[in-house]
Amino acid sequence: MCGHCGCGETHEHADGTRHSHPHHHDHGHHHGHDHATTLVELQTRVLAKNDALAARNRAWFAGREILALNLMSSPGAGKTTLLERTIRDLRGARDIGVLEGDQATSLDGDRIRAAGAPVVQVNTGTGCHLEADMVMRGLSELRPPARSVVMIENVGNLVCPAMFDLGERAKVVILSVTEGEDKPRKYPHMFRAASLMLISKLDLLPHVEFDVARVIAAAREVNPAIAVLCLSARTGEGMDQWYDWLRREWTAAGEAAFA
Amino acid sequence: MHELALTHEIVAIACNAAQQRRVHAVTLVIGRLSCASPEAIAFCFDVVARGTLAEGARLEIHRTDGDHLMVKTLEIEETA
Repeated sequence: MCGHCGCGETHEHADGTRHSHPHHHDHGHHHGHDHATTLVELQTRVLAKNDALAARNRAWFAGREILALNLMSSPGAGKTTLLERTIRDLRGARDIGVLEGDQATSLDGDRIRAAGAPVVQVNTGTGCHLEADMVMRGLSELRPPARSVVMIENVGNLVCPAMFDLGERAKVVILSVTEGEDKPRKYPHMFRAASLMLISKLDLLPHVEFDVARVIAAAREVNPAIAVLCLSARTGEGMDQWYDWLRREWTAAGEAAFA
Repeated sequence: MHELALTHEIVAIACNAAQQRRVHAVTLVIGRLSCASPEAIAFCFDVVARGTLAEGARLEIHRTDGDHLMVKTLEIEETA
Protein backbone atom coordinates (compact mmCIF):
# COMPACT_ATOMS: atom_id res chain seq x y z
CA MET A 1 0.00 0.00 0.00
CA CYS A 2 1.34 3.37 -0.98
CA GLY A 3 1.30 5.80 1.93
CA HIS A 4 0.98 8.88 -0.25
CA CYS A 5 -2.16 8.26 -2.24
CA GLY A 6 -3.44 5.08 -0.58
CA CYS A 7 -3.33 3.09 -3.78
CA GLY A 8 -2.34 -0.54 -3.66
CA GLU A 9 0.65 -2.02 -5.37
CA THR A 10 -1.72 -3.53 -7.88
CA HIS A 11 -3.64 -1.38 -10.24
CA GLU A 12 -6.32 -1.79 -12.78
CA HIS A 13 -6.18 -0.51 -16.33
CA ALA A 14 -9.08 0.96 -18.21
CA ASP A 15 -9.48 -2.27 -20.11
CA GLY A 16 -9.80 -4.21 -16.88
CA THR A 17 -6.34 -5.76 -16.84
CA ARG A 18 -4.55 -5.65 -13.52
CA HIS A 19 -0.87 -5.80 -12.81
CA SER A 20 1.51 -4.60 -10.20
CA HIS A 21 4.62 -2.55 -10.51
CA PRO A 22 6.39 -0.09 -8.25
CA HIS A 23 5.53 3.55 -8.71
CA HIS A 24 7.00 6.77 -7.45
CA HIS A 25 5.69 10.17 -6.50
CA ASP A 26 8.52 12.53 -7.43
CA HIS A 27 8.40 14.62 -10.56
CA GLY A 28 10.41 12.13 -12.53
CA HIS A 29 11.18 12.10 -16.20
CA HIS A 30 10.39 9.19 -18.41
CA HIS A 31 12.91 8.46 -21.10
CA GLY A 32 13.11 5.86 -23.79
CA HIS A 33 9.71 6.69 -25.28
CA ASP A 34 9.39 7.95 -28.81
CA HIS A 35 8.67 11.33 -27.30
CA ALA A 36 10.04 12.72 -24.05
CA THR A 37 7.35 13.11 -21.43
CA THR A 38 7.19 14.61 -17.97
CA LEU A 39 5.26 13.17 -15.08
CA VAL A 40 3.26 15.84 -13.31
CA GLU A 41 1.91 15.21 -9.85
CA LEU A 42 -1.56 16.76 -9.63
CA GLN A 43 -3.53 15.19 -6.77
CA THR A 44 -6.56 17.22 -7.90
CA ARG A 45 -9.94 16.13 -6.63
CA VAL A 46 -12.30 15.60 -9.54
CA LEU A 47 -15.12 17.39 -7.73
CA ALA A 48 -12.92 20.31 -6.59
CA LYS A 49 -14.63 22.83 -8.87
CA ASN A 50 -18.14 21.81 -7.87
CA ASP A 51 -17.18 21.86 -4.19
CA ALA A 52 -15.69 25.34 -4.49
CA LEU A 53 -18.90 26.61 -6.10
CA ALA A 54 -20.95 24.83 -3.42
CA ALA A 55 -18.91 26.60 -0.74
CA ARG A 56 -19.75 29.89 -2.43
CA ASN A 57 -23.46 29.01 -2.39
CA ARG A 58 -23.19 27.99 1.27
CA ALA A 59 -21.64 31.34 2.19
CA TRP A 60 -24.32 33.14 0.16
CA PHE A 61 -27.05 31.31 2.10
CA ALA A 62 -25.36 31.85 5.46
CA GLY A 63 -25.00 35.60 4.92
CA ARG A 64 -28.74 35.83 4.30
CA GLU A 65 -29.69 33.41 7.10
CA ILE A 66 -31.40 31.27 4.47
CA LEU A 67 -32.09 27.61 5.21
CA ALA A 68 -31.25 25.62 2.06
CA LEU A 69 -32.23 21.97 1.83
CA ASN A 70 -31.37 19.46 -0.88
CA LEU A 71 -34.33 17.09 -1.33
CA MET A 72 -33.55 13.80 -3.01
CA SER A 73 -35.43 10.61 -3.79
CA SER A 74 -36.23 8.24 -6.61
CA PRO A 75 -38.80 9.53 -9.13
CA GLY A 76 -42.32 9.37 -7.72
CA ALA A 77 -41.46 9.23 -4.00
CA GLY A 78 -43.53 12.35 -3.39
CA LYS A 79 -41.06 15.25 -3.24
CA THR A 80 -43.34 17.69 -5.06
CA THR A 81 -46.47 16.66 -3.13
CA LEU A 82 -44.56 17.10 0.14
CA LEU A 83 -43.45 20.57 -0.96
CA GLU A 84 -46.95 21.59 -2.05
CA ARG A 85 -48.37 20.74 1.36
CA THR A 86 -45.43 22.27 3.23
CA ILE A 87 -45.78 25.54 1.31
CA ARG A 88 -49.52 25.72 2.05
CA ASP A 89 -49.19 24.78 5.75
CA LEU A 90 -46.29 27.12 6.50
CA ARG A 91 -47.75 30.14 4.74
CA GLY A 92 -47.09 33.14 6.99
CA ALA A 93 -44.44 31.32 9.04
CA ARG A 94 -41.57 31.50 6.54
CA ASP A 95 -41.12 32.40 2.90
CA ILE A 96 -40.33 29.29 0.92
CA GLY A 97 -38.73 29.38 -2.53
CA VAL A 98 -38.10 26.34 -4.66
CA LEU A 99 -35.44 25.36 -7.17
CA GLU A 100 -36.99 22.57 -9.16
CA GLY A 101 -34.60 20.18 -10.91
CA ASP A 102 -35.88 17.94 -13.67
CA GLN A 103 -34.46 16.71 -16.94
CA ALA A 104 -37.33 18.30 -18.87
CA THR A 105 -40.68 20.15 -18.59
CA SER A 106 -41.93 22.68 -16.07
CA LEU A 107 -44.71 20.41 -14.74
CA ASP A 108 -43.39 20.31 -11.17
CA GLY A 109 -42.61 24.02 -11.24
CA ASP A 110 -46.22 24.71 -12.24
CA ARG A 111 -47.49 22.68 -9.27
CA ILE A 112 -45.25 24.56 -6.82
CA ARG A 113 -46.34 27.91 -8.27
CA ALA A 114 -49.98 26.88 -7.90
CA ALA A 115 -49.26 26.08 -4.24
CA GLY A 116 -48.16 29.69 -3.85
CA ALA A 117 -44.36 29.68 -3.80
CA PRO A 118 -41.88 31.32 -6.16
CA VAL A 119 -40.10 28.67 -8.18
CA VAL A 120 -37.33 28.43 -10.75
CA GLN A 121 -37.31 25.36 -12.91
CA VAL A 122 -33.79 24.10 -13.60
CA ASN A 123 -33.83 21.68 -16.50
CA THR A 124 -30.71 19.55 -16.57
CA GLY A 125 -31.27 18.20 -20.11
CA THR A 126 -29.44 14.88 -20.15
CA GLY A 127 -28.00 15.49 -16.66
CA CYS A 128 -29.13 13.14 -13.93
CA HIS A 129 -28.44 15.47 -10.99
CA LEU A 130 -28.08 19.11 -10.04
CA GLU A 131 -24.63 20.67 -9.69
CA ALA A 132 -23.56 23.68 -7.66
CA ASP A 133 -23.29 26.03 -10.65
CA MET A 134 -26.87 25.23 -11.72
CA VAL A 135 -28.04 26.16 -8.22
CA MET A 136 -26.04 29.38 -8.40
CA ARG A 137 -27.73 30.30 -11.70
CA GLY A 138 -31.13 29.31 -10.30
CA LEU A 139 -30.61 31.53 -7.25
CA SER A 140 -29.80 34.53 -9.41
CA GLU A 141 -33.27 34.11 -10.90
CA LEU A 142 -35.15 33.09 -7.74
CA ARG A 143 -33.63 35.90 -5.60
CA PRO A 144 -34.85 34.43 -2.30
CA PRO A 145 -35.30 36.99 0.51
CA ALA A 146 -33.22 36.90 3.70
CA ARG A 147 -34.39 34.46 6.41
CA SER A 148 -36.35 32.38 3.92
CA VAL A 149 -36.21 28.67 3.12
CA VAL A 150 -34.88 27.45 -0.23
CA MET A 151 -35.97 23.94 -1.11
CA ILE A 152 -33.82 22.44 -3.84
CA GLU A 153 -35.74 19.57 -5.38
CA ASN A 154 -33.08 17.44 -7.00
CA VAL A 155 -33.58 15.22 -10.05
CA GLY A 156 -35.38 12.01 -9.08
CA ASN A 157 -32.48 9.59 -8.72
CA LEU A 158 -30.97 7.76 -5.75
CA VAL A 159 -27.45 7.59 -7.18
CA CYS A 160 -25.61 10.68 -8.47
CA PRO A 161 -27.28 13.54 -6.56
CA ALA A 162 -25.55 12.18 -3.43
CA MET A 163 -22.14 13.04 -4.87
CA PHE A 164 -22.67 16.69 -5.68
CA ASP A 165 -22.60 19.24 -2.90
CA LEU A 166 -24.89 22.16 -3.77
CA GLY A 167 -24.13 24.30 -0.71
CA GLU A 168 -27.21 23.13 1.20
CA ARG A 169 -27.38 23.00 4.99
CA ALA A 170 -28.72 19.45 4.91
CA LYS A 171 -29.61 16.69 2.50
CA VAL A 172 -33.03 15.14 2.98
CA VAL A 173 -33.81 11.78 1.40
CA ILE A 174 -37.42 10.80 0.84
CA LEU A 175 -38.35 7.13 0.63
CA SER A 176 -41.98 6.15 0.02
CA VAL A 177 -43.53 3.03 1.53
CA THR A 178 -44.24 1.75 -1.99
CA GLU A 179 -40.50 1.35 -2.55
CA GLY A 180 -38.44 -1.54 -1.18
CA GLU A 181 -37.16 -1.78 2.38
CA ASP A 182 -33.73 -2.60 0.99
CA LYS A 183 -33.20 0.80 -0.69
CA PRO A 184 -30.75 2.10 1.98
CA ARG A 185 -28.58 -0.98 1.49
CA LYS A 186 -28.81 -0.78 -2.31
CA TYR A 187 -28.04 2.94 -2.46
CA PRO A 188 -25.76 3.44 0.57
CA HIS A 189 -24.16 6.69 -0.70
CA MET A 190 -27.49 8.49 -0.73
CA PHE A 191 -28.47 7.40 2.77
CA ARG A 192 -24.96 8.04 4.09
CA ALA A 193 -25.01 11.60 2.76
CA ALA A 194 -28.46 12.50 4.13
CA SER A 195 -29.12 14.07 7.54
CA LEU A 196 -32.81 13.21 7.49
CA MET A 197 -34.84 10.41 5.94
CA LEU A 198 -38.54 11.05 5.41
CA ILE A 199 -40.63 7.92 4.98
CA SER A 200 -43.49 9.18 2.81
CA LYS A 201 -46.95 7.98 1.72
CA LEU A 202 -47.63 6.59 5.20
CA ASP A 203 -51.35 6.44 4.32
CA LEU A 204 -50.53 3.59 1.91
CA LEU A 205 -48.79 1.49 4.57
CA PRO A 206 -51.77 -0.86 5.19
CA HIS A 207 -51.76 -1.81 1.51
CA VAL A 208 -48.11 -2.65 1.00
CA GLU A 209 -45.51 -4.93 2.50
CA PHE A 210 -43.16 -2.42 4.04
CA ASP A 211 -41.63 -2.87 7.48
CA VAL A 212 -40.85 0.63 8.79
CA ALA A 213 -38.60 -0.68 11.59
CA ARG A 214 -36.56 -2.70 9.10
CA VAL A 215 -36.03 0.20 6.72
CA ILE A 216 -34.93 2.44 9.61
CA ALA A 217 -32.49 -0.25 10.74
CA ALA A 218 -31.14 -0.52 7.18
CA ALA A 219 -30.67 3.26 6.96
CA ARG A 220 -28.90 3.39 10.35
CA GLU A 221 -26.66 0.56 9.24
CA VAL A 222 -25.14 2.83 6.56
CA ASN A 223 -25.62 6.07 8.55
CA PRO A 224 -26.02 5.71 12.33
CA ALA A 225 -26.65 9.46 12.71
CA ILE A 226 -29.56 9.77 10.25
CA ALA A 227 -32.79 11.25 11.67
CA VAL A 228 -36.03 9.61 10.55
CA LEU A 229 -39.60 10.92 10.30
CA CYS A 230 -42.67 9.17 8.90
CA LEU A 231 -45.41 11.18 7.23
CA SER A 232 -48.19 11.41 4.69
CA ALA A 233 -48.51 14.66 2.74
CA ARG A 234 -51.97 13.47 1.67
CA THR A 235 -53.55 12.94 5.11
CA GLY A 236 -51.22 15.26 7.02
CA GLU A 237 -50.11 12.55 9.43
CA GLY A 238 -46.61 13.21 10.76
CA MET A 239 -46.33 16.60 9.03
CA ASP A 240 -46.06 18.45 12.37
CA GLN A 241 -42.82 16.61 13.21
CA TRP A 242 -41.43 17.64 9.80
CA TYR A 243 -42.37 21.27 10.51
CA ASP A 244 -40.72 21.04 13.95
CA TRP A 245 -37.56 19.77 12.26
CA LEU A 246 -37.73 22.63 9.75
CA ARG A 247 -38.17 25.22 12.54
CA ARG A 248 -35.14 23.86 14.39
CA GLU A 249 -33.12 23.97 11.18
CA TRP A 250 -34.09 27.51 10.22
CA THR A 251 -33.29 28.71 13.73
CA ALA A 252 -29.93 26.96 13.49
CA ALA A 253 -29.31 28.40 10.01
CA GLY A 254 -29.92 31.89 11.43
CA GLU A 255 -27.49 31.31 14.28
CA ALA A 256 -24.87 29.75 12.02
CA ALA A 257 -24.51 33.08 10.22
CA PHE A 258 -22.96 34.58 13.36
CA ALA A 259 -21.09 31.54 14.65
CA MET B 1 -24.48 8.24 -15.78
CA HIS B 2 -22.83 10.88 -13.61
CA GLU B 3 -19.54 9.39 -14.82
CA LEU B 4 -19.95 11.37 -18.04
CA ALA B 5 -19.99 14.62 -16.02
CA LEU B 6 -17.04 13.36 -13.95
CA THR B 7 -15.08 12.45 -17.09
CA HIS B 8 -15.64 15.94 -18.56
CA GLU B 9 -14.21 17.31 -15.32
CA ILE B 10 -11.22 14.90 -15.46
CA VAL B 11 -10.37 15.88 -19.05
CA ALA B 12 -10.73 19.59 -18.16
CA ILE B 13 -8.38 19.20 -15.18
CA ALA B 14 -5.83 17.36 -17.35
CA CYS B 15 -5.95 19.83 -20.24
CA ASN B 16 -5.71 22.82 -17.89
CA ALA B 17 -2.65 21.42 -16.17
CA ALA B 18 -1.04 20.42 -19.48
CA GLN B 19 -0.76 24.07 -20.57
CA GLN B 20 -0.97 23.52 -24.32
CA ARG B 21 1.15 20.36 -24.26
CA ARG B 22 -0.13 16.94 -25.28
CA VAL B 23 -1.28 14.60 -22.53
CA HIS B 24 0.06 11.07 -22.95
CA ALA B 25 -1.32 9.47 -19.81
CA VAL B 26 -3.75 10.25 -17.02
CA THR B 27 -3.67 8.40 -13.72
CA LEU B 28 -6.79 8.46 -11.56
CA VAL B 29 -7.39 7.26 -8.03
CA ILE B 30 -10.95 6.01 -7.55
CA GLY B 31 -11.98 4.70 -4.16
CA ARG B 32 -14.50 1.92 -3.81
CA LEU B 33 -16.65 4.24 -1.67
CA SER B 34 -16.48 7.12 -4.14
CA CYS B 35 -19.74 6.32 -5.93
CA ALA B 36 -17.97 6.43 -9.31
CA SER B 37 -17.58 3.44 -11.59
CA PRO B 38 -14.07 3.07 -13.09
CA GLU B 39 -15.50 1.07 -15.98
CA ALA B 40 -17.94 3.84 -16.87
CA ILE B 41 -15.25 6.53 -16.63
CA ALA B 42 -12.93 4.48 -18.84
CA PHE B 43 -15.81 4.03 -21.28
CA CYS B 44 -16.45 7.79 -21.44
CA PHE B 45 -12.81 8.89 -21.45
CA ASP B 46 -11.86 8.26 -25.09
CA VAL B 47 -14.96 9.98 -26.38
CA VAL B 48 -14.71 12.98 -24.05
CA ALA B 49 -10.97 13.41 -24.73
CA ARG B 50 -11.45 13.44 -28.50
CA GLY B 51 -10.45 16.77 -29.99
CA THR B 52 -8.63 17.86 -26.80
CA LEU B 53 -4.99 17.77 -25.70
CA ALA B 54 -5.79 14.47 -24.02
CA GLU B 55 -6.96 12.72 -27.18
CA GLY B 56 -5.55 9.21 -27.29
CA ALA B 57 -4.07 9.46 -23.79
CA ARG B 58 -3.61 6.26 -21.80
CA LEU B 59 -5.88 6.04 -18.76
CA GLU B 60 -4.66 4.27 -15.64
CA ILE B 61 -6.95 3.75 -12.70
CA HIS B 62 -5.75 2.94 -9.21
CA ARG B 63 -8.39 1.56 -6.87
CA THR B 64 -8.44 2.29 -3.15
CA ASP B 65 -10.75 1.32 -0.31
CA GLY B 66 -11.52 4.93 0.56
CA ASP B 67 -13.67 7.57 -1.13
CA HIS B 68 -10.87 9.09 -3.21
CA LEU B 69 -11.80 10.53 -6.56
CA MET B 70 -8.89 12.42 -7.99
CA VAL B 71 -6.55 13.00 -10.88
CA LYS B 72 -3.27 11.81 -9.45
CA THR B 73 -0.67 12.31 -12.15
CA LEU B 74 -0.35 13.32 -15.78
CA GLU B 75 2.26 12.29 -18.26
CA ILE B 76 2.67 15.22 -20.61
CA GLU B 77 4.92 16.11 -23.48
CA GLU B 78 8.18 17.59 -22.32
CA THR B 79 8.83 21.20 -23.23
CA ALA B 80 11.53 21.53 -25.83
